Amino acid sequence: MELNAPEIKRIIKDCSLYLCQECGKCSASCPRFLSGREYSPRLLAQKLISQPGDRAYIETAIWECLSCGRCEERCPSNVQFTRFIREMRAILAADQGLMGHQAHDGALHSWMRIMTAPELRQDRLDWLTPDLKTDATSEVAFFSGCAPYFDVFFAGLRVDTLRTARDSIRLLNFLEITPQVLANERCCGHDLLWSGDVENFAALARLNHQEFRDRGVKEIVTACPECFQALGAHLSRVAPGSDLKVTFLLDLVEREVKKGGVSFRPFPRRVTYQDPCRLGRMSGRYQGPRDLMALIPGLDLQEMANHRQGSICCGNSAFLGCDAYSKRVQVERLQQARETGAELIVTACPKCLIHTTCALRDPVRGEPWNLEPVGLVSLLAEHIQWSPGETPLRD
Amino acid sequence: MADVNILGIACNWSPYCCYNAAGQAGLALPANFRLLRVMCIGRINQALILRAFEHGADGVIVLECEDADCRYGPGPEVGHTNVARVRQLLRYLGIGQERLVERTFQADQRDAFVAVIHDFAARIADLGPNPANPRQERVA
Repeated sequence: MELNAPEIKRIIKDCSLYLCQECGKCSASCPRFLSGREYSPRLLAQKLISQPGDRAYIETAIWECLSCGRCEERCPSNVQFTRFIREMRAILAADQGLMGHQAHDGALHSWMRIMTAPELRQDRLDWLTPDLKTDATSEVAFFSGCAPYFDVFFAGLRVDTLRTARDSIRLLNFLEITPQVLANERCCGHDLLWSGDVENFAALARLNHQEFRDRGVKEIVTACPECFQALGAHLSRVAPGSDLKVTFLLDLVEREVKKGGVSFRPFPRRVTYQDPCRLGRMSGRYQGPRDLMALIPGLDLQEMANHRQGSICCGNSAFLGCDAYSKRVQVERLQQARETGAELIVTACPKCLIHTTCALRDPVRGEPWNLEPVGLVSLLAEHIQWSPGETPLRD
Repeated sequence: MADVNILGIACNWSPYCCYNAAGQAGLALPANFRLLRVMCIGRINQALILRAFEHGADGVIVLECEDADCRYGPGPEVGHTNVARVRQLLRYLGIGQERLVERTFQADQRDAFVAVIHDFAARIADLGPNPANPRQERVA
């Protein structure tokens, strides 16, 4: 497809690229640009509109984007840059089989595509410990996503992604919710969707939709902002008739905690918080995680120089294009974290946890960071308690 | 046996010596066995093994040198780690960890090499096709 084709003109129009005023706020806020890469969303828009023959520049820029949405946050013309990137990648993938430069040699995308086989019967629940209460007849399902797979694949990083999954169920159990955990749920498809592989994203979404329906699931609870976005905002586009309720675990915890009777054991540590892009800028949740942390006595939250809407990416998204600039984004971020004097860097996204851990454990770096990453879900699950005199309500 | 595909990923040194010697001696290997030669098993990663299954392999056998024989250093040990992790991933995926094995050889173990490949091919034939049922077309 030529880059001046009507389908591309439609994307340019739908994503408001024609409204670009070339002010350059996007470039000035782009983490890649700030880490030294000559990367400019503005120039990409201009090239695509006025010089569509410059394929090399345009295609490279489309695959390089972190899709963190920081440019979009500042854009005075409301250009929908992340949607533009997502839709353009779908065209480049379908038209030319391009898939960007996949991190980890595409292993994660491989297992995601393997999961599109309808006959597959996964055996993925060996991480459920006896203390976790689950109920196969529950209408609420906890969606563990790729956590068991990450735990194996990233074993060398010593990042415990299953800790978040187990602590999520502990939190639900504490709140008197006994979820089912699906043995055959598929990947939410987030990374395939953002890598342009919409065909396999749709296949996963339809299989998940069918699985939820067969298992009598009415509500999905997830602790992953990417699963939350993919299942909540994108699944219904490819699985018509889905009336699935998708709940982000921290929203649920916040709602239940506000009913009263619950408190947290003290945790006298200084921490800082990494806003995940899919939770903050894409789902508008900045305050909730902070309100929850404020409930833990002694916990001293110190914000990094860039936080909330201005937060900086953990370095990568959809496991695409991880390179030296990604590394510099991460190092810059960790320096900001260290300047807060925090001992822990708290996040609410498994991907942020993985990428932050990867940067922290860099064996080439001589000096230690003296920072440890931790999932907010784990922090909450390990400190939640019934307030003195309160007892859980039983149905 | 023709309805399953077997892929061997072999180190260029000891295992490939065995393969080459088997060929020179006219020893038959299963018709559905294909070999991918790499310079060292330490060079391959989890992605390469997974991709074989994504693209239609029904069984993968990783053919390594013995740890002490590696020309480069830690090659076979990297292989052990990767194979252990991918076996766990295959178990989670429902493909089954028995479809991925690793075997080590010295350069003069031609007959053992041939026996191992026949044995693995027979086991995969018993298991039947990879349930991931990839979209890629199978070679008859």
